[in-house]
Amino acid sequence: MIAEFLRDGLSVAFTALGLFFFAAGSLGLLRFPDVFSRLHALTKADNLGLGFLALGLMFQAPGWAVVAKLALIWALALLAAGTVAQLVARAALMKGERR
Amino acid sequence: MALSLLKRGIFLALVWLALTGEGGLAAALEPEALAFGLPSVMAALWLSLRLSPPLRPWRIWRALRLLPGFVAGSVAGGIDVARRALQRRPAVRSGWLTHRSHLSPPGRVVLGGALSLMPGTLAAGCHKGRLLVHVIDREGGFETAAGREEARLAPLAGGEDETASTGGGA
Repeated sequence: MIAEFLRDGLSVAFTALGLFFFAAGSLGLLRFPDVFSRLHALTKADNLGLGFLALGLMFQAPGWAVVAKLALIWALALLAAGTVAQLVARAALMKGERR
Repeated sequence: MALSLLKRGIFLALVWLALTGEGGLAAALEPEALAFGLPSVMAALWLSLRLSPPLRPWRIWRALRLLPGFVAGSVAGGIDVARRALQRRPAVRSGWLTHRSHLSPPGRVVLGGALSLMPGTLAAGCHKGRLLVHVIDREGGFETAAGREEARLAPLAGGEDETASTGGGA
């Protein structure tokens, strides 16, 4: 009973944190002045948002396989974020965005 | 070669288990499950060898040792950029610096990816052997970040000559 309550509480807390960072990342995307700083917001804040979201969902997982799957999703998204950020930044640089 | 084959095989089998093993380990080892799992892992192993031949051994334990620092850095990075986005006037003072990297080209891609998740820095590829790094705040004290990150990643690259670290410069 208490364990269940605790688990749900942790889920709510971590997914809320995740949503906060997703919102902050989107806000940065809208408010930051140039391509490169917008990329900062997208990669870093969204990566953290997804991490917290996955962590929150892990507390609801029925078994280890689901925990591993969530961790895998986060790891792959992380890999993609780091790579894509570099590619977009380089493409923008080559197109002459210089700020 | 055989060892790196084995390591990759185990890694891919674990990925397969994560993707399909919701019924538990016993269910995953049933003949019906293995009939799908084994060919999938074999195919993935073949593909991984074709796409990236094992030139160097994977330093799995060294990579795992870096994990806590990496997670801490990426949490700090997310908090830093969220704070800047939420300020009344977004705290952005864009600037560039370059970093002379001693890593191999694939190593530089890893360095760039890691830097892009750490506070304040974003890699934009290499030019003449120097990594181009965008900083979100010229006065944010991010000048040393690239050197620090390279020093941290150097043990993964493995070569004795590649353990030297350098500071970033403007």
